[in-house]
Amino acid sequence: MSAASSLYSRRKARNSVMMTLCVVAAGIGLAWLALILGALLWKGLAGLNLAVFTEMTPPPGEAGGLLNAIAGSVAMTVIAVVVGTPVGILAGTYMAEYGRFSKITVVVRFINDILLSAPSIIIGLFIYELMVRPMGHFSALAGAVALAMLVIPVVVRTTEDMLNLVPNALREAGTAIGAPRWIVIRSVAYRAALSGIVTGILLAVARISGETAPLLFTALNNQFWSGNLNAPMASLPVTIFQFALSPYEEWQQLAWTGALIITFTVLGLSIFARSLTGRRI
Amino acid sequence: MLSNEIITADVINAATPKTKIEVKNLNFYYGESKALKDITLSLPERSVTAFIGPSGCGKSTLLRVFNRIYELYPKQRADGEVLLDGTNILDRSQDLNLLRTKIGMVFQKPTPFPMSIYENIAFGIRLYEKLTKAEMDERVEQALKRAALWTEVKDKLDASGTSLSGGQQQRLCIARTVAVKPEVILLDEPCSALDPLSTARIEELIDELQADYTIVIVTHNMQQAARVSAQTAFMYLGELIEFDKTEKIFTAPSEKRTQDYITGRFG
Repeated sequence: MSAASSLYSRRKARNSVMMTLCVVAAGIGLAWLALILGALLWKGLAGLNLAVFTEMTPPPGEAGGLLNAIAGSVAMTVIAVVVGTPVGILAGTYMAEYGRFSKITVVVRFINDILLSAPSIIIGLFIYELMVRPMGHFSALAGAVALAMLVIPVVVRTTEDMLNLVPNALREAGTAIGAPRWIVIRSVAYRAALSGIVTGILLAVARISGETAPLLFTALNNQFWSGNLNAPMASLPVTIFQFALSPYEEWQQLAWTGALIITFTVLGLSIFARSLTGRRI
Repeated sequence: MLSNEIITADVINAATPKTKIEVKNLNFYYGESKALKDITLSLPERSVTAFIGPSGCGKSTLLRVFNRIYELYPKQRADGEVLLDGTNILDRSQDLNLLRTKIGMVFQKPTPFPMSIYENIAFGIRLYEKLTKAEMDERVEQALKRAALWTEVKDKLDASGTSLSGGQQQRLCIARTVAVKPEVILLDEPCSALDPLSTARIEELIDELQADYTIVIVTHNMQQAARVSAQTAFMYLGELIEFDKTEKIFTAPSEKRTQDYITGRFG
């Protein structure tokens, strides 16, 4: 009896020690996030005003905004998503539906996972060799393609995972009613996996909206407003990179504000993505 | 094991005269392993046939051959003959989608599509028929009435199919199957995920549906087989042990193994 109870109390003690360690670990992790967000809010909010969204990036020593950088980021992100999403969804659909049992799916999944974790600077260099060098100049288009290369693996992965979560019973039910395969995929599997697939796209957007490295080698930067996809274009991350490293106070302030905008856009997207997955159809 | 002649003869003499599905020397393989061994039996038209047997005996496998749903998976194959009104559906030239409009299937777990109740029914109809809105409304109503679900859902046809209770979902699946006007309805343990009340409703429904459809039901529940079916096949380890009128199977089976199973000695 006493042996049993001492064993039990020892277990209980060990449990509380481990529990404390877990809580501390979680606290440390969260503390950094809070510190970063706090510093960002503190420094960034100070420079947040209407001019940030209405004026172009200024020359050193003058006041200005981030309009061209924001517009450039939006433009390149939109193109990247428009190019990358269909490719990603089709590839993911092949892997989860038509090629579910084929060997090539295993190979594609493996390569896709490598691409998923490839350093984005490599993607930037690759597009530099592929587009910038032959064209002879930096361009927004090259930047968008580099970002699309980052979108594809994320979308492939989530599309495949989400379609794999659709119960086979549902596919069988669609098939059993006489629906051809493509209709089962379109009307049953996609519909059941819709929120997950949309989440994947949003996560991809969140990922590329903060990417600097691939844009440094492709879209470069532009101090002015540019609607030309065949010319260098400003983007928030690259502008932040340039301004934060500069010795000018106005630029540094704009960098903080830009970082704040990106962070909260990404945070907003993530929360939106979360709310989509949380809801069941 | 009974010889083929006796099985066929029995059914032809005793039950309804016309054979709907005739299975001849059917073998089925999951990769290398043989799941059905030389099955031969014939199912009469417009009546209920039950397949019983312990788990893994091949009763669901046999059911899944009838609409060739197994073809969704590689490495599953069947050889032998399955004649639907005299045509071999295992023939390579058989159009699978058309076959499945003739042979509907309801699964163990209710599988409403992720769309509204109305769309769940209309989905199958729309695949092969072009109807006006009014005609479609009519067909949906008919199907839901046939599945004894109409009064419960008529005011919420736009609600999601998944918002219904398990029993209602299963009746929705039956309505969906009936809506495309099949000739045969396959039921794969349709009540095993349902409570007794819902089960009773589905059984009533099966009883009504047999006036128009040939029904094949796989069930774990022997009482259910006894209640709903006209003839029963007892299967064990991939073989058809005995196939006869339900009454005979449950009161005076000719095989010792059938006797043992229905009295609960194994399985």
